[in-house]
Amino acid sequence: MRVYPYPRLTGAVTVRVTAVRLRGPGDTREQLDSRGYSVIEQVVALGRAERDDWQTARLALTATIPAREIETKGHWSDVMAVAVLAEGATNTRTVARLEPDAAGGRDWTGEIELDRDNYVDRASLAVHVVATVGGIAGRIIASTDQEWLIDVTADAPLRDRQLEVSTVSFARGAEWLRSFRDAPWIVDTAGRMPTVRLNSDFEGLVALVESQGSKVESVVGEMVLAQMCADVWTAVFHTAIGDLEIEDDGTPLFPSDWRGAVLREMLPDIVPGRSVEDALREVHIRRAGQGSWADLQPRIQYAAARRAEVPKALAAAVRDIERLDQETHA
Amino acid sequence: MTSRPEHLPERLALLSDVQAAEYISTGLLEGRDDVPSIALNKVAEPLPGDDARLQLHRVRDLIDHVLDRFRDERPTAADAWLAPRLHETLRLTRREAAEKRLWTYLALGVAPDYVVWRHLSEPRADGSHGRVARDRFVGPHYKQTFARLWWAAELFRDGPDYRPVVVACANQDMLNSALRLDVIDHRPTALALVRLMERGVVRTGREVNGLTPAVNAAAATLMYDVLAPDVERDGQALRDWIEGAESSLPTPRNNLPEGPEEERAPEEAVERLVGHFEELFADAQVRGRTPVESE
Repeated sequence: MRVYPYPRLTGAVTVRVTAVRLRGPGDTREQLDSRGYSVIEQVVALGRAERDDWQTARLALTATIPAREIETKGHWSDVMAVAVLAEGATNTRTVARLEPDAAGGRDWTGEIELDRDNYVDRASLAVHVVATVGGIAGRIIASTDQEWLIDVTADAPLRDRQLEVSTVSFARGAEWLRSFRDAPWIVDTAGRMPTVRLNSDFEGLVALVESQGSKVESVVGEMVLAQMCADVWTAVFHTAIGDLEIEDDGTPLFPSDWRGAVLREMLPDIVPGRSVEDALREVHIRRAGQGSWADLQPRIQYAAARRAEVPKALAAAVRDIERLDQETHA
Repeated sequence: MTSRPEHLPERLALLSDVQAAEYISTGLLEGRDDVPSIALNKVAEPLPGDDARLQLHRVRDLIDHVLDRFRDERPTAADAWLAPRLHETLRLTRREAAEKRLWTYLALGVAPDYVVWRHLSEPRADGSHGRVARDRFVGPHYKQTFARLWWAAELFRDGPDYRPVVVACANQDMLNSALRLDVIDHRPTALALVRLMERGVVRTGREVNGLTPAVNAAAATLMYDVLAPDVERDGQALRDWIEGAESSLPTPRNNLPEGPEEERAPEEAVERLVGHFEELFADAQVRGRTPVESE
């Protein structure tokens, strides 16, 4: 926990998006359907907009701050609430001041604008309460615990992202895919989000994983899917760990995008019983050649298989095959 | 030395990390090999549309010029010249600039010779070859050869005025350390750092490396956006500037180009932070180390 040399609020600060208005060329306007944002997930999905050519999105916000605590403790003056919209990939940061609905009230409202040219993927939205403390202006005395995510392309307001699966012909697809022409699938981790590419030249594969066939096919399909999933987890883990930013003192940093999420998710299984920061350092040291990288491989496989539910899929397959056998002999 | 690509298509393209990996050989990193440009352009994905911005020769002309102009100087000196001109030539939105594949293509498909010239380290005393770090071809925005210059120009310009970019790029420590910090996403903060350099408050790399972490650490408890509010950005100015690329002249070689007609950062906001950072810096120097995180 960070220690601050000045008093901060202990009560929670929360924020919710109450409306989203989009504007496009020629002053066209659209109000985003309320299914385009979720108070539970705390996500706005701007991809849900009817018109694809919107340029700016104005988010109406209401923040709730512990007004009574501010009043009773009396440490703070010039209290204000500020919304910050930021995205690492575009180095963009937009700030808007909120105003109290009533003097000394808990609810503060305002609007913040997102310009589409300045954001590429997901911006985070937080509210900070700022005040003068002990003669020093501009101190941050509280912030929202969980940020909202403003997704500029998604059409469903969900925090967790779905893995993208695309079906392409490896033989006739992009040049670099041709060298994999015999492979049923490959995991491409180079982009902003990892993608599974299914080889449409591999006869029957697409039907198999879409489980459109017979009982036997669906049993095998489930197994293939689990296997593919395990491949994905292994690939994304190796990509994430291979591309770490290192501080001057040698401390590896968690990446801000999906790579960071993958590491946080898998490290507790790979280096059990340690904080994720320690685990990251340990794995990084081993990979860099000080310590055994090979010893870690079974743990990485284990973590990947667990997430892909390979044991579960395999157990189900064994059971289903038994049942199918019984049916044919019956 | 790695030479100019033999085959240069008309338009810029995208190249993913996976595709790039095949071409980043040890020979290239040591500046001995060329990039096989015909094969590379077969796998690269050309950008759609016929925007003048995305004509390859506009960038390549600039590279040819900078290589000639700075051939007898230290390669680091080229950064301050190239950053604003690359920015003005490409005219990208931040959304477009977040596309890493574009920068990778620039490094491998358009100007591998420049990457090698600019970033090849001196040969070592033991006789081993000098090397270009791999992240100068494919790397984060503060490392990759061209992304780093473009983002420096974007984050340090004051509306249309590229002069602060020239100052920031003239100091490698400022360029390397500030660019990776989130605080400079606040424009008055970036401009205040530049002003401290202009006024000679911070001069050496060591001083810059003392100042920037102090400024960053203080931002954990102080909100610069409130202490020194910036104006709201008007996206239309940028859109007009991008549209103007169709009829624009090649970027000026001797004078500084002009960026989009966005409103400049408020003078009092920048000065307020200059005063604040000066105090932080004095404090950091007195202690002979960077301040602790809490202050």
